[in-house]
Amino acid sequence: MKIKLNKLVVGVSASLAMMASGVTQADIKIGIAGPMTGAVAQYGDMQFSGARMAIEQINANGGVMGEKLVAVEQDDVCDPKQAVTVANNMVNEGVRFVVGHLCSSSTQPASDIYEDEGILMVTPASTSPAITERGYELVFRTIGLDSMQGPVAGKYIASQKPERVAVIHDKQQYGEGIASAVKSTLEDDGIDVVMYEGITAGQKDFSSLVTKLKKENVDFVYYGGYHPELGLILRQAQQAKLDAKFMGPEGVGNKDINTIAGDAAEGLLVTLPPSFDEKAENKSLVDAFAKKGEDPSGPFVLTSYTAVQLIADGIEKADSKDPIDVAKALRANTFKTPIGDVAYDKNGDLKSFEFVVYEWHSDGSKTPVK
Amino acid sequence: MHDVLYFLQQLINGLTVGSAYALIAIGYTMVYGIIGMINFAHGEIYMIGAYISLIVITGLATLGSAWLPLVLLVALICAVIVSSSMGWAVERVAYRPVRGQHRLIPLISAIGMSIFLQNYVHLAQGSRNIGFPSLIQGGITMGAEDGFQTSISYMQITIFVVTLVCMTALSMFISKSRLGRACRAVSQDLKMSNLLGIDTNRIIAATFVIGAALAAVAGLLLGMYYGSIDPLFGFIAGLKAFTAAVLGGIGSIPGAMLGGLILGVAEAMTSGYLSGEYKDVVSFGLLILILLFRPTGLLGKPEVEKI
Repeated sequence: MKIKLNKLVVGVSASLAMMASGVTQADIKIGIAGPMTGAVAQYGDMQFSGARMAIEQINANGGVMGEKLVAVEQDDVCDPKQAVTVANNMVNEGVRFVVGHLCSSSTQPASDIYEDEGILMVTPASTSPAITERGYELVFRTIGLDSMQGPVAGKYIASQKPERVAVIHDKQQYGEGIASAVKSTLEDDGIDVVMYEGITAGQKDFSSLVTKLKKENVDFVYYGGYHPELGLILRQAQQAKLDAKFMGPEGVGNKDINTIAGDAAEGLLVTLPPSFDEKAENKSLVDAFAKKGEDPSGPFVLTSYTAVQLIADGIEKADSKDPIDVAKALRANTFKTPIGDVAYDKNGDLKSFEFVVYEWHSDGSKTPVK
Repeated sequence: MHDVLYFLQQLINGLTVGSAYALIAIGYTMVYGIIGMINFAHGEIYMIGAYISLIVITGLATLGSAWLPLVLLVALICAVIVSSSMGWAVERVAYRPVRGQHRLIPLISAIGMSIFLQNYVHLAQGSRNIGFPSLIQGGITMGAEDGFQTSISYMQITIFVVTLVCMTALSMFISKSRLGRACRAVSQDLKMSNLLGIDTNRIIAATFVIGAALAAVAGLLLGMYYGSIDPLFGFIAGLKAFTAAVLGGIGSIPGAMLGGLILGVAEAMTSGYLSGEYKDVVSFGLLILILLFRPTGLLGKPEVEKI
């Protein structure tokens, strides 16, 4: 029995030694966690392409504190349960800095694990206010909040003076959060919301909903959620000859809505972060994406790039690879990034972030409104 | 008048979805009727049917064939052939080797099959929603120009008609044909019909094939009606159809039809008069209620202990 135990100890320590030798000491691991598969994988593509580009460029410029960045990529399928598994994998992989997650409902449970394990997390896409309002030390984002986006949408709707407004959402953290922000902005402006209702994500048949919208004589519909459902609502509303203007948050603003809705997507209004790829100072970066055959115009490409860059700059500024020191450095300084000058408040939210109203077209292009 | 038209519109919406549930529910109910097992991979067969029809429709469009009835017919035939062979393969791989074992074993292997098919389509076709062209357009509108108008689209009419035709054909087939008689015999007593010289393996395989063919028809129709498909959409539809089959009395073909229609109308009425959020609460609540008072479903026959 004793011999067996000894063998076991030798075996375990040998395998530990093997695991340790797999990591060369001079690498900094950057976890990238987002959906590679599932219904919103195209947003994940934006995230991965932006983050990979940043890692490549930083490594080409000599890395961080003389060390190379190494990407550890994991797929959370935008599923809260899977996000927890991914977060635990990151812990096991020895990752100390994570760019992610994408969906607010994934970021929320994953951030608990990161905060407990001393991992610094920067989400390039999650806009739910609940993520940062818990006063966590190591949670940051490179995007605005629903509480900023909702009022922009609400104010715009109010300025259009619609007669009967409906607000629909997908009952998820992101969709319902933003829909309720829009609703309260509208009510503050004295506009009555005649219908406030949830649908189920993954649902395909919206004929009952569309019939109800028709009966309520709605002329403006705000939808909080993602494009697969809104695309179908638009299409089925067009077939039922519902004459209303539709609007949604950045979660609906991507070209896949055109393949679902077809020409019903024409005239859809979307609040999006400004097109960072059209800024003059990002010209060389946009060219670098073009050289790789990738499209930097998606809303989360450059926010993901910025997330990696902030981690790198934070490490340099703090002169330490300890996430707690890096978090302090991020809060104390202002950084120059592709999304503009970035400064953080004590919750890890950006001090300023702008959303713009765009009009979407049936060929997948968009033009700014106002 | 306004309220009547609104009610009528929600009824039409509900009946359309209900017919589709019924088409899928047939597959569950037939397999259960014959071998007493639930085919959990059935929703995936439906999803594959939708994908195959989309591939064929897109393929024909690039080849320049535009005559609508021909395109639909070719898509339907291809979808039915591929899905039926899938149904056959599911039986061959996941059911036959474990038949006669404990009831839980085929159940688990069917769930495994379902996960496999879902992920296979995931990898082969990508996980994104793909738009499905609505080939049948237009419809009939009722009601005053300025008031609420009730409309029924040709697509909805197509769904009713096709469902009705399929159901009638299936009932005729089961009650009149030789194979149908064999099916009924096997469902009454598998061992005895084996002794009487019926090739039960063939009959069971035929059940899976017929169920899969109807699921493929539903896949084509609903893909066109909804307008987009993704690898996961068979799962939810399968769950609903399974509910419909249980509601109507699992094992009974008219029961599946009735269950599908009741479920569809209940969903539409709940979203129409209450709120879309309570749709599933009401439909599953209804299921529990019916099972409390009629444990075998609406048209199910009480199980007689065979001695």
